[in-house]
This record gives sequence, C-alpha cells and structure tokens, in this order.
Amino acid sequence: MSAKDKEALIVRIAEIIIFELKLEDITPESFDPDLDLIDELGVDSMDLATVVLVLQDEYGIAIDEDDYPKLSSIRLIAEYIKQKQAA
Amino acid sequence: MNTVSSLLDDSWRERYRRISSLNIRSSIYDVTNQCNLRCRGCFFYSSKEHEAASEEMDLQKWHEFVGREKERGVNLAILIGGEPTLYLDRVAAFYQTMPTYCATNGQIKVPRDRFPDMMVGISLWGDEEDEKVLRGKNTFAVSSKNYEGDPYTYYLYTITPKQVGRIGEVIRKIDDAGLKVHLQLLTNDEQVDGYSWTEEKMRDVRAEMDEMLEYYPKTVISCKYYHEIITTGKMMGRSFGWNECPSVTESMDKRNPRPKRLIRFIRWASDLKTQHRCCTSATRDCATCKDGAAHMSWVMVNKREHLKSAKDLQNWIEVYEMFAKLYQFIPW
Repeated sequence: MSAKDKEALIVRIAEIIIFELKLEDITPESFDPDLDLIDELGVDSMDLATVVLVLQDEYGIAIDEDDYPKLSSIRLIAEYIKQKQAA
Repeated sequence: MNTVSSLLDDSWRERYRRISSLNIRSSIYDVTNQCNLRCRGCFFYSSKEHEAASEEMDLQKWHEFVGREKERGVNLAILIGGEPTLYLDRVAAFYQTMPTYCATNGQIKVPRDRFPDMMVGISLWGDEEDEKVLRGKNTFAVSSKNYEGDPYTYYLYTITPKQVGRIGEVIRKIDDAGLKVHLQLLTNDEQVDGYSWTEEKMRDVRAEMDEMLEYYPKTVISCKYYHEIITTGKMMGRSFGWNECPSVTESMDKRNPRPKRLIRFIRWASDLKTQHRCCTSATRDCATCKDGAAHMSWVMVNKREHLKSAKDLQNWIEVYEMFAKLYQFIPW
C-alpha cells in the first residue's frame, strides 16, 4: 500500500468514526491518527462495536471482539485493516 | 473536540487513569428465593420474582455455573436474593472464583474466616420507626452488632420520603458503628401509603444528601452529581427510563435504538437458567425507578457524553470512583 493510500485509509476511518460516534468540532483531516480513542476520547466497547460493523462491511474483513484492544487509535485501526486484508 | 487531556489537570487525569483501566463487567445473581424477612416494598417479592424459578439445589452445579460466568467475561458477581447468607456454600462458589459483592439484610453475619474480604452491603430502610413499619423489625440493632468496624462492609441506606429531615441521625449511628454508608432512594413498588416521592421531597432529600456528604465525608460514599441524577432522574438533559436504562439483561434487550448499556450484564434467577429482565423488578415503572446502581451505571456507560466540559468529566469520574469503591475495585 502506498503512502498516499495509507493516508486515504486513515482519513476514511476518521470519517467513519466522526459520523458513527457523532463527534463534533473535528474534521477527518484534522483528526490526530495517533490520538488514543479509548483514553482520550472516551470511546467504549459499544462505540467500537458500532464502528467495527461499518469497517467490516466496507473492507470485507471480520473483526473479533477480542481484537478491540488493538483498535485504540486510527493509525492502529488502519494497520489492523491492512493486515487483515493481506491475510 | 474535547479530549480527556484537554479537560483535566494532572490530578484529575490520574484519577481518570486509575478507573479507566478497570473494565468492570458485572452480573447479578439471585442466590435463593428465600428470605428471613418480608419487607413491604421489596421488589423481589412484590413482583413475585421469588416464584419465577425453582432453586438449583446441587452445589456442584453452582460451581460449574460460576465457572461459565467467568469464562463469559464477568468480573464482578453481585449476589442478591432472597437473602444470600442463608446459603453460604453458594456464596462461596462465587467468592472463590471472582470478585464478589453480597447484599444482605445483615441479620446473619458472613463469617469472616471464610470470606475475609468479600464486600458486604447491608440493606437499611430508615430509622427504627420506618424499619418496623416496612420490615417488621429494627434490623439495624442486629446488623450493626454483626458488622461493627468491618472494613469490607457498608450500609446501603434506602431513604424513604418519611426519612427526609431525619437522615443525619441514621448516618450518625452508622458512623458510630465504624461503617460506611451509600445512599439510594426507595421505589415504592407496593404503593405503601405515605412512601411515594413528591418533587418537593426530592428537592429536600437531595439537599440533605449533599449536606450529609459534606458532614460525613469519610462515612458517606457518594457524590453530589449522583444525588442530582437520582433525585431528578435526569442526566445531560435526558430522562431515566426504559429507553435509557443500562442494566437490562443483554439477551432480553431488544431496544432499538440500543442505548449505552452494561456489556454482558445478565440477572440470573436461582435456577441458574432463568433470566430476569433487569437488575430490579420487571413490573416496575422504569420512569419512577430509583435504583441506585442503575443510575450510577447510567452515568458510567455514558462517558463520552461527559466530555462536554471539565466539570462534566469530573462528575463522571466521581460517580465511577463511587461505584468502584462500593465494589472494592479501589480502596475507600
């Protein structure tokens, strides 16, 4: 995956999170991909489950609930998706 | 966009960090259908939940059940009843496997040589006069002797409308016994005359709860935001009720849209098969439910809602800390 594709993936994940969690005062482009979603944004497992449903549909992957702790930032989610798609 | 770091100073952030890693997954278990009291207003009997299922009598099946619950991810067993201390072997099945809280009326002492650090919550429904009306006896006289000075015990004081203006005397006695107290409000399930709340009484009781917290800060395990939530039934402009309650048994939760809720929460009957709808009576009007744990949980599961301001997030932290103390995840 090229750097440009990676950047696009990160922005798209940010879009999904902003839309699904109804976040305000933030754009996909200004969303820090390394921000800890759980510790800093208060995202919980129900929030993650909501986001995961969309990610699964959009990227054709299965995300196990046991893997939720790995999805703690947008960058980590992007890497997780890449790994799943490559597997 | 607010973040935790942008809202909290170092001291509050440390408090946040301490609780945010706890990941509490509770479920509630009826240990038995039997009780050594029959209290007017007890939801378990008024809604006939004691007849919902027969008790599992095979102790080995209790042990196997608790093992399955642990595998399901439960890390806090909340034992209610009937009266759990009537069947201490069943209580032990939980205590040996996971953090356990035992609700009791305190008339039978949990033996501390067998359950050295199990958290015990003693139900109390007021002063001597109210206890005699609602429970047939002054339970405090016995329970305070049984548990005097016990560091793993607190009173769960269910305040009735008739207690307003008289709460301080009850708390003083609890303080004198060297015990802690948590406050909640009576839901008048059986419509006992004179025990229903009015708006004025709610305002008065909230002010009195706040006052008690200030006067007995080491004895009263509570916080003002919790007092606001439980007396008004409102949080961040939303009203408590069926559409908001977080303490609905997961397998029976067909609400759409699904509110924030306790993950994996189930309330089990004592046959270890039947599931009750929620943490309290299925016949209760949720709009008037005053269950303390349900209101605490309501706040706790709505963390992101409380990232609107520093004060909101601090309120959320205080409620979470209160819950964590009551179930021994952090020290008093």
